[in-house]
Amino acid sequence: MAEAPFEPRVVAFLCRWCAGAGADLAGTSRLHYPPNAVAIRVNCSGRVEPEWVMEAFRSGADGVLIGGCHPGDCHYVSGNYKTRRRIYLLKKLLAEIGIEPERVRLEWVSATEGAKFARVMKEFVTELKQLGPLNLEREEEKPSAAPVLPQVGS
Amino acid sequence: MAAKPKIAVYWTGGCGGCDVSFLELGPALLDVLAQVEIAFWPALVDTKRSEVEAFPPRSIAATLVNGTLRTEENVEMVHLLREKSQLVVAFGACAYQGGVPGLANLSPRDQLLRRVARNGFRPAPPPGGETEDAPPELLPEAKALADEITVDYVVPGCPPMPPLIGLLFDALLSGDLPAPGHVFAHDKALCEECPRTREERRLTKVVRPHELIPDPEVCLLDQGMICLGPVTRGGCGAACPKAGMPCTGCVGPTPEAGDPGLAMISALGSLARAGEEGPGAFAAEDKLLDALVDPLGTFYKYSLPTYVRRKGGNG
Repeated sequence: MAEAPFEPRVVAFLCRWCAGAGADLAGTSRLHYPPNAVAIRVNCSGRVEPEWVMEAFRSGADGVLIGGCHPGDCHYVSGNYKTRRRIYLLKKLLAEIGIEPERVRLEWVSATEGAKFARVMKEFVTELKQLGPLNLEREEEKPSAAPVLPQVGS
Repeated sequence: MAAKPKIAVYWTGGCGGCDVSFLELGPALLDVLAQVEIAFWPALVDTKRSEVEAFPPRSIAATLVNGTLRTEENVEMVHLLREKSQLVVAFGACAYQGGVPGLANLSPRDQLLRRVARNGFRPAPPPGGETEDAPPELLPEAKALADEITVDYVVPGCPPMPPLIGLLFDALLSGDLPAPGHVFAHDKALCEECPRTREERRLTKVVRPHELIPDPEVCLLDQGMICLGPVTRGGCGAACPKAGMPCTGCVGPTPEAGDPGLAMISALGSLARAGEEGPGAFAAEDKLLDALVDPLGTFYKYSLPTYVRRKGGNG
């Protein structure tokens, strides 16, 4: 039997004011786009910690999408600027580790841009299919990952 | 009089600096040594492995291991010492989180060996020697001590500073032991004990230590040096920032920070500014952040084996 084709797993952090609303619009407009993403709504893209992105990868994600407001539109004035700089640095770090920086994608999607959200998802999933699975070492395989050390005598 | 408690100090893939660091205790070291019996300490006394193997289980009160785990022999020895010891202490940054030698994990083992010995290198016995005389095999990657055995306590630092070593001996000799897993350093960030003043809370340039003689009063991050103080445990007395050098994180991250690299990326993302924020500044901000040439080596100088996971699983 032929192996099932690779379907990338995507975690999408979407801000509630713009990208999240844009994703909702894509749905209510009945736009078609690949169902590969698990969406997590956050108040602001600036709330997305680099740690969350890596945790998504460690948990089996092949790509992480961060959707925020267009420059100048951030509900909290500058959260999207902070996240832009963080993702820029995170990509540099990923490149050094040997993880393709393209697996992290930052997009500005407004509440009216359902079509853009659908297009971004299509593009991202296509790109991830070309990159293939990430298979990052899992948390449970690396006991020292947690800063808390094992108990004596355990 | 009861017998003195036995201690052991062992080194794996380290530089020897941790062994030397005990001397920094000064006269206090004599007090410590008067209260213990050294069962095994290759840097100081000649005890053979076969003698250690003959020790009864748990006959050593505490074993302090320094160095990263790099060879099969390292692994055998720490398992042996775990069996013979009541307490095992990860002593220094290498044993705690992999240390500087852990940076070698960025390259596969065979590539490392080709680089060090051009035609490749395979451990082999010396001419005329027995197979068992061959040097031990390198592990596929460097590991922290806790990747192999249960670690009871940690004395962090590269090498550990006298006040932190003092905390360990105070606990061991008084018998007033902290909870397992305790790290003998502060839980709060280094910035709490740094005398420098934080003014701008902005990172407007990135400079490397050799490019700047910093102002003696002002926060090094404010001056553009990538100081890991915000994410690193205090306890060392902010020795490096006091001397005009940015913290490189040798004591390890605070419990709150967790992964030091990701926490620093978060902090630097907030702090970096190239003029008025907005699309017009994006290119300048990227250029500013590009001046941080090696984020991985800067953020994980002492902890790469603990925090950095790679593609393709463990295979």
